[in-house]
Amino acid sequence: MSDVIHAVNLKIGYSPDNILAKIKNLQVEQGEIISIIGESGIGKTTLLKNIANLVKPISGSLKVFDNEQNRGRIGYIPQKLGLVKHETVFFNVLEGAICNESILRSISGFHDEGVLTKVEKSIDLMNLSDKIDEPIKRLSGGQQRRVAIARTMAQEPKLILADEFLSELDNKTVDSVWKTMLDYVERENTTLIIVEHNIERAKLAKRCLKLEQNKEKGYSVLNEVQI
Amino acid sequence: MNIARKKYPIFITFILFTTWLVFVNLVDGDWASLENSLDNLSTFFYESLWPPNWKVIEAQSYPVCDRNWDFLCSPAYIGIMETLKIAFVATGFGFILSLPLATLASRNLYRDSIAIPFRVLLAAMRTLPSIIWAIFFVILVGLGPVSGVLAMTFYTVGYLGKLQYEAIEGLSNDPLDAAKAMGLKNSEIIQRVVIPETANNLISQLFFMFEYNVRHGSVIGIVGAGGIGYYISTYLKFLQYDKVIALLIILFGVVIIIDLASIKARSYFVEDATFKSPNLFGNFFRGKKNK
Repeated sequence: MSDVIHAVNLKIGYSPDNILAKIKNLQVEQGEIISIIGESGIGKTTLLKNIANLVKPISGSLKVFDNEQNRGRIGYIPQKLGLVKHETVFFNVLEGAICNESILRSISGFHDEGVLTKVEKSIDLMNLSDKIDEPIKRLSGGQQRRVAIARTMAQEPKLILADEFLSELDNKTVDSVWKTMLDYVERENTTLIIVEHNIERAKLAKRCLKLEQNKEKGYSVLNEVQI
Repeated sequence: MNIARKKYPIFITFILFTTWLVFVNLVDGDWASLENSLDNLSTFFYESLWPPNWKVIEAQSYPVCDRNWDFLCSPAYIGIMETLKIAFVATGFGFILSLPLATLASRNLYRDSIAIPFRVLLAAMRTLPSIIWAIFFVILVGLGPVSGVLAMTFYTVGYLGKLQYEAIEGLSNDPLDAAKAMGLKNSEIIQRVVIPETANNLISQLFFMFEYNVRHGSVIGIVGAGGIGYYISTYLKFLQYDKVIALLIILFGVVIIIDLASIKARSYFVEDATFKSPNLFGNFFRGKKNK
């Protein structure tokens, strides 16, 4: 089985003088469900941003899908969700789905029938059909979170990076959202990496990695832990 | 005493002190000219400016007026309408041209090697005031409103472009990060994230720019680029200051009406979902409290 992520001697952070974390070796395979835990400010989000190619590593090697550029292969749900707040649920979920069509179709607005079906299906899966034309700014925190998940599902990525995507949800909604997400990743053989600082939620993943501060060296290191 | 806690009074005192020093340097000991200034103003005001000569809202003697109301053939109406048309077209063209340039100049969308040359281009366009652009285009295409439109368009691109790229760079990183991670192209990110998220700002800036261009219509007309400025400069040449003040009062009225209309129009694009249509005069005099 090929690695989705392969990192060796990776140093991450925002400047060479201030290294946040060092990852000696990290291998993630297709279909794995992983949680990353650790204290606030230790570098969890920065690690996700490195994997999402939003921040360049300081040194070392990081290969995601062997560094092949492929539209729509990575789905990223930031901590603050990254939704277009002035636009509707449909508009936001469509943003994910357009990865499955040509740039010409996406820009011109003549969307593929299949793409539009995917949008409606994802919105339906997240129980947001009655809010489809509602602007994001009028939804509750939990509903907005479900829109972000629907956007990622409509995108159909092979790797989902979710930064505390279960926070702000009540227990009942956490269960249903997690079940829907789990069904989805198992069915599509998608790799899911979630960043959590809630241990109970982190336990939902099948493999857990912990970023721990190394006080002597001043940066954190990534270790596999049993929870 | 902790100086950091007193930073605002210290800052204001510093600004006042340095401004006064530079002013004294500029006056260069010639305080007598300032002492007489109020007397001069009073003489000029009562002998030349006041009362305004409202003949400017009567029909001109030539060409013969063929409309129902004399006002429609008056210098005030013809001048203001031309100024409004010039400002409208220039703002429209300026907006269409500035938006792509502003996105290219945004450092959160393009790398510095692309963004900085476009910033320099926009800076160059607004370095020249619209009156200099007007002189340039009057030489190029001759007297009239077309040179006014071209001059204002160029200035609008430079000015509006700067406002736009600042609004784009003020966007939250999260929606951009999500879109970039998905692998969307910049053109898609601009269409699906940047424009919807900055729409309120863009529209607000558009109204501001229109009002700005109407006000500047009086300036560029002076060099022959059409509009109310043409009449103002003609009256100035013949020392008819009472007519000049009448036109300026009318222009002031038009600017206030545009300002009120733009407050009303902008109110439809504010963030708050429970926003109620504001009271026009209340907003104008009290500031926008509903926002």
